[in-house]
Amino acid sequence: MRRNSIVLLLIIIAFLGGCKSKNNVVPLLIYNDADPYMEEFRDNILERTPEEYSIEAYDSQNSQIIQNEFIEDLLKEQPPVMIINPVDRLGAYTIVLKAKEVNVPVIFINREPLEEDLYLWDQVYYVGAPAERSAELQSEIIMELFGDPNNLGVNDLNGDNIIQIILLKGEQGHQDAETRTEVVMNELETNGYEVETLVIEIANWKTSEGYEAMMELLPIYGEQLELVISNNDAMAIGAIQALMELEYFQDLDNDGFIDHEIEPWIPVVGIDGITSALELITSGYLYGTVINDSESMAEAIIELTTAIINGDDVNTISYLLIDNKYIWVDYKKYVLDEN
Amino acid sequence: MFKKNNLSIGQNISLTTILIVIFSVLTATFSQYINYSGVTNDIVESTSKEINKQIILNYENYIDSVIQTANYIQGQTAQYGHIGEPIELDSIYEQASEIQEDIVSIVLIGISGNEIVNSESKTLNSEDLTLKQWYIDAISDVSIFHFSSPHIQDIYSSSVEEVITVTKLIDYYSNGVKYQGVLVIDLNNINLVRLAETTNLGDQGHIIILNDDNSLISSSSNICVENTCESAVIAQSIIIGGEKVEINNIAMYANVNTLNTTRWRIATFTNVELIEETRNKTLITNGIILLVTLTITALAASSVSRRISSPVNKLKKHMLHMGEGDFYQRIDLHGQKEIVVLANSFNHMIEEIKYLLDKILVEQRDKRKTEFIALQTQINPHFLYNTLDSIVYLSENKMNEDVVEMVIALSKFFRIGISRGKNIILLSEELEHARNYLLIQKIRYHNKFEFEFEVEDKVKDCKVVKLILQPLIENCINHGINTEYGSGLITIRAYEKDGNLCLEVEDDGYGITDKKRDELYLGFIDKTKAKSVGLRNVYQRLQLYYGEESQFIIDTELDVKTTIRLVISMEREVQDEKK
Repeated sequence: MRRNSIVLLLIIIAFLGGCKSKNNVVPLLIYNDADPYMEEFRDNILERTPEEYSIEAYDSQNSQIIQNEFIEDLLKEQPPVMIINPVDRLGAYTIVLKAKEVNVPVIFINREPLEEDLYLWDQVYYVGAPAERSAELQSEIIMELFGDPNNLGVNDLNGDNIIQIILLKGEQGHQDAETRTEVVMNELETNGYEVETLVIEIANWKTSEGYEAMMELLPIYGEQLELVISNNDAMAIGAIQALMELEYFQDLDNDGFIDHEIEPWIPVVGIDGITSALELITSGYLYGTVINDSESMAEAIIELTTAIINGDDVNTISYLLIDNKYIWVDYKKYVLDEN
Repeated sequence: MFKKNNLSIGQNISLTTILIVIFSVLTATFSQYINYSGVTNDIVESTSKEINKQIILNYENYIDSVIQTANYIQGQTAQYGHIGEPIELDSIYEQASEIQEDIVSIVLIGISGNEIVNSESKTLNSEDLTLKQWYIDAISDVSIFHFSSPHIQDIYSSSVEEVITVTKLIDYYSNGVKYQGVLVIDLNNINLVRLAETTNLGDQGHIIILNDDNSLISSSSNICVENTCESAVIAQSIIIGGEKVEINNIAMYANVNTLNTTRWRIATFTNVELIEETRNKTLITNGIILLVTLTITALAASSVSRRISSPVNKLKKHMLHMGEGDFYQRIDLHGQKEIVVLANSFNHMIEEIKYLLDKILVEQRDKRKTEFIALQTQINPHFLYNTLDSIVYLSENKMNEDVVEMVIALSKFFRIGISRGKNIILLSEELEHARNYLLIQKIRYHNKFEFEFEVEDKVKDCKVVKLILQPLIENCINHGINTEYGSGLITIRAYEKDGNLCLEVEDDGYGITDKKRDELYLGFIDKTKAKSVGLRNVYQRLQLYYGEESQFIIDTELDVKTTIRLVISMEREVQDEKK
């Protein structure tokens, strides 16, 4: 009788234990699904999920409170690992401490927590792109377009050898917005280009705000405008919509393609390389973008996740893992090959 | 151990009902309580989370407005400096500081701690500002705003105000050259406390704010003023999230959340004592309801079961009576319809049985009477024929005296035999009848035997079935007279023994063998083996009239004597069978 009950108990424990270890759903917390770049990033991760586990995405709706709630609830279910795109990168230390408590590894993506926070625990990783590189590449695109800084050529519309720009900035105070703005301006300056900033407008990463800002600015600065620099593609697309509406772009032959040789256009450069932006490059509206390579990053994230779940050495994956913490995936320039 | 069979209907009904009610009430109460406490738990959790969110949002709005101002200042600083008109910055800083009332001062200092722009007309602290913690923070990570813990304002030497210092490294221009400086915005700490006070967290509910190093930045409760106070320790251990806790023996719901851009955590403690109390009250109420319901059910069940089982018990008792042969009581029941119908059927059945029993009784009696009369009448013709034969013989031999005696005896014999149709007569009469018969036979057999009577006086007035001695005597005369050895004496006795009446007819003849005696006995019962019609006739009549208790005993000794003894119950007054 006693032996039977012990056996029964063991079976129950084994069953419960089995249940616990059976949680192979990896939560993926996106800071905001309304961000088209993050939406693509999310889809790239999801479609690469191998069969041995599954990934469930959560939308934090741009609120750290909501994300914290998700994290609190999800950690109770003991996921094998969590992939988090933080809303507030400065609050990430709380996530690290909380995850450490229940021994759930965390992969932060896209928004880089403070270094000191990442080093709070050895099971915390970051997969992203080095923010300043995007702006460096963006400035390269611009420099290639305008050519010799001392002799700017056709794209210097008024021929004053100064580039008149409108800069669409992301969220004020956002590290990426600040870095991208600063680096692109610095790069141009260091390389000898003279730039006149007509206005730096904050459009919070959003297409709609980019559109609205440009609709207000174009009647004022439209005549002088020679270049639109945008911190991301979404705002660039908004700008293009306004430029089209106010006929700065004109598809004279109605072939759905802006021929830069013969049709009116204004160069707009973005960052991120989201699908709709790439389409606009193909049709000649967007001059160029820097692809924030979410496909490669998604691959890196999946490889890292798989290694953690399988208990493999994380350094054996095909992406370079720096100091057991960082995987940097570089940006790629993307412009229309006019030849 | 209970055996189900052993329980009465009443016990069964009450037990089942009570069990069902206990089960259902318990289930209902339990599930209700579980639901209720689940719901209240959810409500506690969600309301206090909502409150926490609201508070965080308030703080976020506040912090956002500060950041906006800072961004504005940063933008303006870069722009105006670029154009090369640093003088105008003073008024921009001043305006910005005036518009937002909780901003105490906005200062831009150079890398070496020198004043660049100052919103106030006060002079800066002469100490080395680059040694201040807020300056070190700003330099340590240039990409973010740094929020300090509350401290006495130290950018001016004369200030006593408690402030929070927000710093960031920004660009400025001087004569067209770009420099880096530290933007220092001092916020009045009172506003943080005020934001906490506007929210209703219940009695002793409070808010505390922790920095990323777990130090206490602000607290709305005067219980918690140090890093080591109960609330702070709890918030530190929760890190982020919600939990039910007890502070100062008061049930609270603690919620810890991060505050955007500051690296602070805000912990709210909501008083949930009231909800706990309500839940306990519900539990008690449920318990009382359970008890009351059970009591009522037990009473109702036992009353119903009694109403059903008591008539059934009555019926049962009645049936037992009936089993003992009492068919004369009707059962009279009130109560459940079915039981009344059952009782009525039962009454009907009793009547039917009674009727049938009576009928059988009458039929039996009739049958016995018929048999009895038939047996009685078997005696006479045969004897009369023989006697008349003897009288003819006596007359032919001119034995007139004997003729006279015989005729008188015969006449008496018949008078008693007929006895006005009665079957039961006095023993004296039966004895007289026997005597007459003996007289007749004695004459007929030429005094071949003698006879005598030994009769106790007290039994003479007993009543007996008539004509039981004569067949026995007849048997003696036919088989028992042995003139060669014995005197041929026939003795008739009547006496009382053990309350019974004994009648004996004894002869001193050959006696009979055991085998023959057994054959005689057998013949009494089985008609086809009957040796003596007369003896069997007597036996049958005794059986019919007196029943099993009567005895017919043949006592014999070979060549000495044979005694036939009838033992019957002594009756003085016997109801006539003819009635």
